[in-house]
Amino acid sequence: MLRIYRSLLVASLLLLPWSALAHDIPNEVTVRAFVKPEGTHLHLLVRVPLKAMRDINFPERGPGYLDLARVNDVLAGAATLWISDFVEIYEGDIRLSKPKILATCISLPSDRSFVSYEDAYAHVTGPRLSNDTNLFWDQTMLDALFEYPIQSEQSRFSIHPALARLGLRVVTVLRFLPAGGGVRAFEFIGDPGLVRLDPRWHQSAVRFVDLGFFHILDGTDHLLFLLCLVIPFRRLGALIPVVTAFTIAHSVTLIASAYNLAPNFLWFPPLIETLIAISIVYMALENIVGGSSLQRRWMMAFGFGLVHGFGFSFALRESLQFAGSHLLTSLLSFNVGVELGQLLVLVLLVPVLQLLFRYAVAERVGSIILSALVAHTAWHWMLDRGHVLAQFRFEWPALTTALLVNALRWLMLFLILGGFFWILQRAIQRWNDRVPGIGWKAIAGKLRIGVSSIARSALSGDSQEGQRGR
Amino acid sequence: MKHKLHIAAAFLALLAGLGIISAVLEKRAAVAAAVVEAPQFEVDPLWPKPLPNHWILGMTVGVSVDTQDHIWIVHRTNTYEPTEVYATAKPPAAECCIPAPPVLEFDEEGNLIGHWGGPGASYDWPDSNHGITVDYKGNVWIGGNSRGPDPKGYHDNMVLKFTQSGKFLMQIGHPGKSQGSNDTENLKGPAKLFVDAATDELYVADGYGNHRVIVYDAETGKYKRQWGAYGKKPDDTNLGPYNPDAPPAQQFRNPVHCAELSNDGLLYVCDRPNDRIQVFKKDGTFVKEAFVATKTLGDGSVWDIAFSKDPQQKYIFLADGSNEKIYVLLRDTLEILTSFGDGGRQPGQFYAVHSIAADSKGNLFTTETYRGQRVQKFVYKGLAPVTKKDQGVVWPKSSK
Repeated sequence: MLRIYRSLLVASLLLLPWSALAHDIPNEVTVRAFVKPEGTHLHLLVRVPLKAMRDINFPERGPGYLDLARVNDVLAGAATLWISDFVEIYEGDIRLSKPKILATCISLPSDRSFVSYEDAYAHVTGPRLSNDTNLFWDQTMLDALFEYPIQSEQSRFSIHPALARLGLRVVTVLRFLPAGGGVRAFEFIGDPGLVRLDPRWHQSAVRFVDLGFFHILDGTDHLLFLLCLVIPFRRLGALIPVVTAFTIAHSVTLIASAYNLAPNFLWFPPLIETLIAISIVYMALENIVGGSSLQRRWMMAFGFGLVHGFGFSFALRESLQFAGSHLLTSLLSFNVGVELGQLLVLVLLVPVLQLLFRYAVAERVGSIILSALVAHTAWHWMLDRGHVLAQFRFEWPALTTALLVNALRWLMLFLILGGFFWILQRAIQRWNDRVPGIGWKAIAGKLRIGVSSIARSALSGDSQEGQRGR
Repeated sequence: MKHKLHIAAAFLALLAGLGIISAVLEKRAAVAAAVVEAPQFEVDPLWPKPLPNHWILGMTVGVSVDTQDHIWIVHRTNTYEPTEVYATAKPPAAECCIPAPPVLEFDEEGNLIGHWGGPGASYDWPDSNHGITVDYKGNVWIGGNSRGPDPKGYHDNMVLKFTQSGKFLMQIGHPGKSQGSNDTENLKGPAKLFVDAATDELYVADGYGNHRVIVYDAETGKYKRQWGAYGKKPDDTNLGPYNPDAPPAQQFRNPVHCAELSNDGLLYVCDRPNDRIQVFKKDGTFVKEAFVATKTLGDGSVWDIAFSKDPQQKYIFLADGSNEKIYVLLRDTLEILTSFGDGGRQPGQFYAVHSIAADSKGNLFTTETYRGQRVQKFVYKGLAPVTKKDQGVVWPKSSK
């Protein structure tokens, strides 16, 4: 059926001899869309620049004006070919059938009706531009209203808008108007995959665990920091407090950022990126110099963890729109993902380090070489990021009441952090007092995990620094 | 144990105390904010991204934001010092630089996404580009202000209309043909243009040689009407240099530098050397005027304006290329609330800030002529109480 429809469309387009073909792929395209379930149907209202619809003959007149009297014959086909054929909408897990096109129209580029669903709906279903309006086809907008049959407006809907093909860079601004009221806004670049417009908590959780897991694995700087943290402390008993301190610290700043408590300065992201590079350089240098105690290491992990948490928040910022009404769940899930990623890295990293130091190079020399390599990379990051930061000049903000309020809130946050820190210190102290001898070998033995002879030898190694940490 | 309880209680009491103080202060801040608020900005020193091909900007004399929030600028490709364009010497004297095409289009991120412009067979490209406007249909308009080689003549007596891809559409006026402020066929150094979506009329600030606002049909180029200062018939009598102590001039001085129509149908005209902004109805009826930095001599203080992007257009942003700042005015009363910027070449500073435009998110874009030669972005940071009449350079700082 679709094939027949397309053939008819192509045939009808070929019958328009006055047309000109559109060829170029536009550099940037902004798509505006509304999704509104209502009763037993769902409306998808979309605005796309006409120039994004390539290889369609839009009828022209005069020096290249769009022939508004004839263009309506083409619009429904163009809307199907370039929009609805590449948009999948799901009610629960069931994909909705092909939509009906209720209306299409050409709009001026300056038309502002897509600021709200009501205005946009009235515009698309309202009067058309006068046929004698002189508009160049590639400076106009195509508006289309699609209707999908649904079971219930209360269902949970998802959308996969695969509209990236419209241009080299496609920004989609989508607003979902759930039946219960309110508006949920999404903005994404390219093809976002399946977007759950009203996710259940576990769907948000899975999405954000996945996001956190791959974020840490993609984040070379976070991984190098982790490597620096564990080079001297490869025993489970030493790793737990260090990694826990890092985790708690970055969770605090990550959550604070998500709740808009982070400073909203233009220079803040470059500052954090620079500090992250500095944290790696510092840790690597400390490893080279040697002498770090477990107590000192977990405190550093806590301090720098605060910085890394802001870094995580930048990665998360654009994704929080997919959290639906489960912001905290999503944040915690992102954290869980990050921790799982960390855990995976540690599980792989620690035995490799043990093997390396046992068979390839002496531990001290190996630590120095590895740390020097890391320091070298991070040093360049630090310079590059510092260069970006240097383009901003810090200026003390004016002393206003609003500023005082902000400062007081930060003071409260630091007090809470101090409390956390104190509790953590006590807990780690108790942990160390209670389980001084727990190592990878002990854990493997307790869990009765069979290990190869190589792994056994790796797991049995106690690091020099680890002993010092005890 | 008791000791620990005391510490915990003190800790919680301290937190509660800080919470209460912060809540009280927040209420006070809200009350203070209700008094006078103005939009706040921070310069984005990383916008735009570097141009490709060793391209360099000349005097940058126009900026406009289209409905897709793309930023369009026009600059002069014949205003470089020889050492700026060594790569165009014959033979090339160095790897850099090359004049960028006159019309450049950027996306919101500062990426260059389009470029065109320059002389063509079917139109008279200005010798000195001046002003760029993307109208409600997406068409691009350009003016010019070169006198040309003849000291008694005037070359750039025309405005040009193009599509966004640079296809020529229309020219109003012809080089060297102006007969003065009452010649409706030609312009004389047209500085800036605006197209009224309601009537499809083109308003021209005309300009460097004439003393008027002139209105044409934007589709046909047919003359509609014109007027001078206070809505009077324009007059080319030489007014002599501006004197701040003299009564307000009854005609515009050159250049008449901007003509911007508000959503409620009022036309705001920049009478640059007279240090004033005059407001008219669409038919040329004078409504009111306001003076800005009236001690400013020479190039004057009222160079260009942009309206805030709220539907009411509550604020006017006024570029002053002599005092090197942007004023924030209440459109209703034309009262100056605050200003930002200062002279200099670092981000957020200005050298001859010439043109200004706002995008749909409230961000401002400015261009600089003479040796300023750049475009800058000022990020909208929301409304905040006015604490300083002159904020100086708005480097990134707190949003609150």
